[in-house]
Amino acid sequence: MPDINTMYKVKVNEFEFSFSREQIEAVDLLQRSPVEFNLLKDHRSVNVKLLEADRTAKKLTIEVEGENFNIEIKEELDQMLEKMGFGLIANKHIKEIKAPMPGLVLEIAVKEGQQVTEGEKILILVAMKMENSIMTHANATIKRIAVVAGQAVEKGQVLVELE
Amino acid sequence: MKKILVANRGEIALRIMRSIRKMGITSVAVFSEADRNSPHVLFADEAVCLGAPASTESYLNGDKIIAFCKQLGVDGIHPGYGFLSENADFAQKTEDAGITFIGPGPEAMRIMGSKLAAKECVKKYKIPMVPGIDKAIEDIAVAKETAKQIGYPILIKASAGGGGKGMRIVEKEKDFEEQMQRAVSEAKSSFGDGSVFIEKYVTSPRHVEIQVLADKHGNVVHLFERECSIQRRHQKVVEESPSAILTPALRKQMGEAAVMVAKSCNYTSTGTVEFLMDDKLNFYFLEMNTRLQVEHPVTEMITGIDLVEEQIKIARGEKLSFTQDDLAINGHAMELRVYAEDPLNNFLPSMGTLTTYIKPEGEGVRVDDGYEEGMPIPIYYDPMIAKLVTHGKDRTEAIQKMKKAIKEYKIEGLATTLPFGTFVFEHDAFLSGKFDTHFVKNYYTPELIKEKQKANAEIAALVALKYWMEKQKITQPVEHKTTSWKRRLA
Repeated sequence: MPDINTMYKVKVNEFEFSFSREQIEAVDLLQRSPVEFNLLKDHRSVNVKLLEADRTAKKLTIEVEGENFNIEIKEELDQMLEKMGFGLIANKHIKEIKAPMPGLVLEIAVKEGQQVTEGEKILILVAMKMENSIMTHANATIKRIAVVAGQAVEKGQVLVELE
Repeated sequence: MKKILVANRGEIALRIMRSIRKMGITSVAVFSEADRNSPHVLFADEAVCLGAPASTESYLNGDKIIAFCKQLGVDGIHPGYGFLSENADFAQKTEDAGITFIGPGPEAMRIMGSKLAAKECVKKYKIPMVPGIDKAIEDIAVAKETAKQIGYPILIKASAGGGGKGMRIVEKEKDFEEQMQRAVSEAKSSFGDGSVFIEKYVTSPRHVEIQVLADKHGNVVHLFERECSIQRRHQKVVEESPSAILTPALRKQMGEAAVMVAKSCNYTSTGTVEFLMDDKLNFYFLEMNTRLQVEHPVTEMITGIDLVEEQIKIARGEKLSFTQDDLAINGHAMELRVYAEDPLNNFLPSMGTLTTYIKPEGEGVRVDDGYEEGMPIPIYYDPMIAKLVTHGKDRTEAIQKMKKAIKEYKIEGLATTLPFGTFVFEHDAFLSGKFDTHFVKNYYTPELIKEKQKANAEIAALVALKYWMEKQKITQPVEHKTTSWKRRLA
């Protein structure tokens, strides 16, 4: 049996938490039905719903105040495996400007090889009748323009490459 | 009128067709190739495809719509809001084709459609107005000089604009040229008319508008106000009626001013007179919207009047069946516009498919929407998914119902303004009624929503861990917690 100081990591959507076994044992959780629970935390009374749980109960979906949270519990063993298996992939520094939203390229304000300064307008993106000017965040040279005016782009699509 | 074509899409087309059906009239839907499976098409008695998804190929193609009307024996067109709703030429062409346009006459639309002509028209009625110039400007140098005279901050507005499109605030002179170019370009692409005008920008302004209803016999009434100050990008997100700050005397004064504006242009049908209100409760005429407004449901909830039904009756030439004295405010109504936008990412459009879509229900809860689960939100049109409206006996009850309804509204697959709604309806400034159109700028940061999400995520984490641990205890062998074997005494 793990001792009270054993730590457990939990991934909840984009958040990550870490609790000791002691903290978890101390949780005041009342099960009201197979899927309904009431939690008292810092005197706050919260009703939550268990929407999904896999066989090991380590991957769950829980609803809190109308919002769904996807949860992944990691035991020490899981954490160790992860460390061994997946080393941190070095973050290659690619300077590129990506579309912050899907849309249509209205106009391109720069040319390849052009020097741009921080805050300079690169192009205008239109979506749902809104225009958005896309600016640079650093001084750079336009290496490549990956789109043309009138083109539809997806969110995250590379618009221009900088160097 | 036996058959009405609704020249619109989504929630408003559906909402209009509900009233049409209630009145025993046949409804005709129009749709683009992107909207074949939309609820408004499925609901309609008849439907015609206008063409490719782009608005100019479909919902803005007035000639095609009129041709279909003739082909199908349609005797009335309801334009909804947006698209052709404020296009006087289209209204004229409709009337010329012998079809009734369910809205104001082309002349009133023309006057009120141009903010400058509107100001000119209401001048003689002593309606208060914001300081500014009363003619359109195209020359940037002249415009810059004028802006200087009025004094910064100034507001550049598209003469033909609405809904915040083509509208720019300029705080400093050095930003003027870029902003003016953007405003002109947006005005051109959105309205086909690049003329803009400049006025003083009122700091700490509230946006309060009055709903009017006018028949073809000279009877004009107002249906009280709507408070629309909670905006992002100058576009409304939350509306309510009545306003938390209007006194009965002020309400009467503004209502009478709105009726005068309507009378000044021989207005008929539903219309909305928009006022800007400063922190001392002075109000100024902004513009008149010559159509049914997005936020019309809050007025319907507190007056019990079906505004679309009234529009149709007025178009048929009927007299209003009530007078100003018959109208009273019953309770309080709130509306939240549910947009496919990410409040955590600067309210940028969030496109995707509605993988989960479950609406809230209950007494005093109304959802006007035009999508179903599994449908994608097309990039070609306005990103509004639905309008969530609640009605309560007072403001507090309407807010409480709204907060509950937001929790029950399940949308997955894309980000929406629902979490922003919760933020607004829980915020002290909103609850106290002391807020202006800068609410978002003054109080809102995505971090506040993030913090709340994190707190709830932590709760979810604890519940999950506790649940998992309890489950493990059941499946694991019991540890030595028994006493050692002893001889039985008895």
